[in-house]
Amino acid sequence: MNTPHSLSWILWLCSAVVAASATRNPLYLVLILLCLFIVAGSIHPAGEARPPIVSPFTFAAIVMLLAAAFNALTTHYGQTVIIRVPESIPIVGGNITLEAVLYGLTNGLTLSALFAAFTVLNLALPIRSLIQYIPRAFSPLAVVTSIAVSFVPVTLRQFGQIREAQAVRGHRLRGLRDWLPLFLPLLTGGLERALQLAEAMAARGFARADEKAHNIRMQVMLVAGLAALPAGLLLRLAWGQKLWGLLLLLAGAGLVLAVFWLISRRVPRTVYRRERWSWRDGVVLAGAGVVLVVFLALLPGIDRKALYYSPYPALTIPPFEPLVGLAILGLAGPLVSGMREGMRDQG
Amino acid sequence: MNRAIQQVLSVLIYGLSSAIGIGAFLAPFVLPTMQQGQPMGMAHASDAPLILTLLVGLCFGALLLEVQGQAVDTRVIALLGVLVAMNSVLRFLEVAMPGPGGFSPIFFLIVLTGYVYGGRFGFQMGAMTLLVSALITGTVGPWLPYQMFTAAWVGLSAPLCRPAVRLLRGEGGWIEVVVLALFSGGWGFVYGAMMNIWFWPFASGPATQHWQPGVALSDTLQRYAVFYLLTSFGWDLFRGIGNVALVLAFGRPTLRVLRRFHRRFGFRYHPPAPQYQ
Repeated sequence: MNTPHSLSWILWLCSAVVAASATRNPLYLVLILLCLFIVAGSIHPAGEARPPIVSPFTFAAIVMLLAAAFNALTTHYGQTVIIRVPESIPIVGGNITLEAVLYGLTNGLTLSALFAAFTVLNLALPIRSLIQYIPRAFSPLAVVTSIAVSFVPVTLRQFGQIREAQAVRGHRLRGLRDWLPLFLPLLTGGLERALQLAEAMAARGFARADEKAHNIRMQVMLVAGLAALPAGLLLRLAWGQKLWGLLLLLAGAGLVLAVFWLISRRVPRTVYRRERWSWRDGVVLAGAGVVLVVFLALLPGIDRKALYYSPYPALTIPPFEPLVGLAILGLAGPLVSGMREGMRDQG
Repeated sequence: MNRAIQQVLSVLIYGLSSAIGIGAFLAPFVLPTMQQGQPMGMAHASDAPLILTLLVGLCFGALLLEVQGQAVDTRVIALLGVLVAMNSVLRFLEVAMPGPGGFSPIFFLIVLTGYVYGGRFGFQMGAMTLLVSALITGTVGPWLPYQMFTAAWVGLSAPLCRPAVRLLRGEGGWIEVVVLALFSGGWGFVYGAMMNIWFWPFASGPATQHWQPGVALSDTLQRYAVFYLLTSFGWDLFRGIGNVALVLAFGRPTLRVLRRFHRRFGFRYHPPAPQYQ
């Protein structure tokens, strides 16, 4: 089976996040969550990707319960009273309403959908695929991330060895201070390895590779951009100068982004194995595109009011636009295209 | 001359981006007051959080760019990579075996490395720890940039303990550890309070606890205080106490090790000038 292009997954994630954030209608949110659950449940972890510590199902159950309870206990608004708590009890005293429960559940649905979408991404893409999207302007930090990710298994292994060695000597973990004989050798060993690594990197000519990337011209541009940003924001928000504020904000953002771009141009990037696009990516991108268009664009024939449902003041059945419902099914694109196997490590 | 100009510009970048970042985090308190009495204010109330989020992202990028200027040295890159890996393992263990409330062992190394190796190093240590640990624990999400920025500030601000330690003449002794413990404990609460602020304007709920455009500063502060006490204080209490306990228990030996390696990492070889006969 072809491995999916990592950009397909990232665009799929964007569409899922946009859909989950753009609606307050519980029917659409349930549909979004179902699609995400099915994709999350059918995906096989990629490369060194680990299964999530909290599954999206467990997370959804806990968060929806907590959100509904919290909102019901603290918001005493709505007409359908379930129970009345004595007013003498601070904060929770008052009417517990069905509207408040549903509102809390809707909040929980949104959070669960966001969590499920990111869980799918974490499962589908190996860590190294994500590192390649660190902008080239931040190449030293990308190297640090790469080193750290490579050293995590080594550090875990060393921790296990130290624990076994200390256990053989009769060391037992009874209190906080008992962790010290485990932590200090781990720290010292790690710092020794850092020294060796630094020497190996210097020997291979890594040192000061992009010294010129950081010059006075870039710094001046950064300072000018950073100064323009708050000035534009103040003009726009505090003094009501909408146009001038926007122009200053754009100029500031443009200067900062220009510095990122100029530094990026000086950093060459080589790829050991190039990812290829396939028709499967096309299916996923088409599904994600439909979701983005329906949720972001003003399309004729689609009633956008159905996206902004509120249960207050009296509970009503949420409206349901079939076209929006169909568009949400676009999130199941990875299933349709058979991209259930996450990416293998690109080495 | 060029070096002096670069240093001035560097200070300006640090100052501006930190000020914008702090301003963006505090915006929910200030904006409603600023928008009172001017007709356009309410119209922009809805897009303000979005603009501020983009602004925080740009400032964080600019600050990272400036800070990483130091990291082209292989020794700093290797040291940072290995320490970030170690801290990420601590976070991995924390996620696998959750401690009470908001307790997290990662702030201990961020504060201590920032204190010993400097604010720049601490900034990168904070930001990279959150990034790498999110990658290895599969917790990449929309909260990550805010966590990175806030944790980076923890490391960046750690050298602020140095004047207090010097004033109390406590370097190398228990006074130094106590100052760092109090600093870490304080950040336990501030970190939680800051992480709430970014999403607080978007949260919904009772009017006594939630952000609303056009409300006076004192009322906004009062609402946030109620919200924080109800939703986060208990959680953050464990983080604060945990940070204090970790620094008190492990602080002195860890500082000794970090200082020893600081000397070893800090060496520079100056070859003698060639002697021509």
